[in-house]
Amino acid sequence: MWGIFLESLVIFQNYAGYHQNKFLFGIFLFFLLYLWLKEDNKVLRALFVYTPTLLLFLFFCPVFRKVFVALLNDAETYYRLIWLLQMSMVSAYGAVKLCGKYRKMGLVIMTIAIVACGSYVYQSEHITKAENWYHLPEEAVEVAELIDPEEGRVMALVPADLIYYIRQYSSRINMPYGREMLIARWDYYHDMYEAMEQAEVIETSSFVELTRSYGCNYVVLKQDRKVEEPLTDYGFVLYAQTENYLIYQDTELGE
Amino acid sequence: MTQAISFLFWLLVVPFCIGLVPVNFIAEKKRNLGVILLAGYLLMWAVFEVITIPAVIWIQYNNFSFAMNLFMAAALLLAIIGIILWYLDGKKNVGRTGWLGLGNLKWSELSLETKIEWFLFLALVGFQLYMSVTRASFDGDDAYYVVQSLMAQQNDAMYKNLPYTGRSADLDVRHVLAVFPMWVAFVAVKADLHATIVSHVIMPLVLIPLSYLVYYEISKMLFSAKRESRPVFMIMMGLFQLFGNVSIYTNETFFLTRTWQGKAVAGSFIIPMFFWMLLWIFKEEPEEKKMKKQNAGMWMMLVCLNMTAGICSSIAVFLVAILLGTSALCLMFVKRDWKVPIKLGLTYIPNVFYVLLYLFLSR
Repeated sequence: MWGIFLESLVIFQNYAGYHQNKFLFGIFLFFLLYLWLKEDNKVLRALFVYTPTLLLFLFFCPVFRKVFVALLNDAETYYRLIWLLQMSMVSAYGAVKLCGKYRKMGLVIMTIAIVACGSYVYQSEHITKAENWYHLPEEAVEVAELIDPEEGRVMALVPADLIYYIRQYSSRINMPYGREMLIARWDYYHDMYEAMEQAEVIETSSFVELTRSYGCNYVVLKQDRKVEEPLTDYGFVLYAQTENYLIYQDTELGE
Repeated sequence: MTQAISFLFWLLVVPFCIGLVPVNFIAEKKRNLGVILLAGYLLMWAVFEVITIPAVIWIQYNNFSFAMNLFMAAALLLAIIGIILWYLDGKKNVGRTGWLGLGNLKWSELSLETKIEWFLFLALVGFQLYMSVTRASFDGDDAYYVVQSLMAQQNDAMYKNLPYTGRSADLDVRHVLAVFPMWVAFVAVKADLHATIVSHVIMPLVLIPLSYLVYYEISKMLFSAKRESRPVFMIMMGLFQLFGNVSIYTNETFFLTRTWQGKAVAGSFIIPMFFWMLLWIFKEEPEEKKMKKQNAGMWMMLVCLNMTAGICSSIAVFLVAILLGTSALCLMFVKRDWKVPIKLGLTYIPNVFYVLLYLFLSR
């Protein structure tokens, strides 16, 4: 039970950015405590004081966690229970209540506290300037446009850095494997992925055998990908190229 | 131009007209433009769930167009009913159209200071909308959810293929009941625009303001007597969203970086909406029987809200059960009324069917 409690604690710390020295949850705890002392309205007390406190207790309760995980058969999403606390809302309500009529001063202090304890979302490494309306990397769109069929479907083998994007452009482009291979903890195995991504140098003959067994019409390689022998020696033609990728088409597929 | 009209029609006009239906069963003083729109979205999404889930499970071919045609008919019918109810209400109560406003926010009565605070808040929201259009947010889950929408749009099939590869797939129970990506696909088809663009660009322009509308309604409940406190609360909420990216797990991070995914909608729209509905229902609980009748629409909305959690994510159904359970206990305790958990429990009944279906399909 102690172990389960500690796991919940780690989940909470990761959620709150504790190890990155982020302390928005500190603001929340402060105002929750303040509301415990000062909130008089019964309903507000029930919803903004008792409910978050009870939810916090449940979150750290080992028995509750065991039941939650068993019911949903999923331990990874346990952190979403913290969403129910609505930390921002409780904090903002507590702050406005505490400020009373000195709301200008309160707003300035809270702004400083939120900026200092939080993390600016648009500084995230996952956010970049949009290159097109799809919000996908321009070169991924370029590659997908080149191989997107007018009718029917094609099978394309693409490098790992394009995997997330190609089918967001066109679901007519199938792939022998997808995102599941890129998440290490999911622990999938795929022989085509091994041949494409894990080999230092692609062994062309066995590689081509695999691409044909998976029915790949196109093979997209990074320009600098090392290949034992050129694919063009095995019935492929260089169909197109972009700044970083070479797109090969298999002319002997199905023969 | 046609696309813009289509978006306006399906994302504003239709939900608004649908909202006139439940709002007709709500006390007049509680009605306003925001409430109507929010009520419309809830009822629309609840209807979407009822139509789409059976189509996903039991219809083999062209299930997307089948469900969408049915949903379109149902949505338009509800919108027409809403307009008729509004017209009849107007005839009955000539001159009482005050509820077609923004509640008790009377601009001319606000002090300059409060007006500046409201402008600051609007600037914060405007900035977030601008960034949602001009910045791309990478999220691996898009390879699942966005592609599900795109497959529905391009192949007229819901959940028949694995989004990662395109191979045909068995029913993925955890995701097939959460049909939010199909609603995105519906909007994309109606506007004839690529589902990925609709997900990444159009959805934030709708869902971010909708969430703030919920926070605004909450602020009205929290500061019913102190109107000048509302913009301060809203500015703080806007700042918390902007600086809430303390990890990839927070609902604030989901709100601005994965806005179009059902789970983000659950975290930043559905859950706050529960707080609003509970405040709405219990903070100013009417004593008279007549008033109680007038508030039937609020309970209808709570039922729809429970159902809407289901279209966002199957886990949200469990989350709202926990939220309803804990808040019902706390409300029962403070109000000394043992009927509170029963009343709130009854609103969860549609989700009981959802959970049973989930368990049945998972066998």
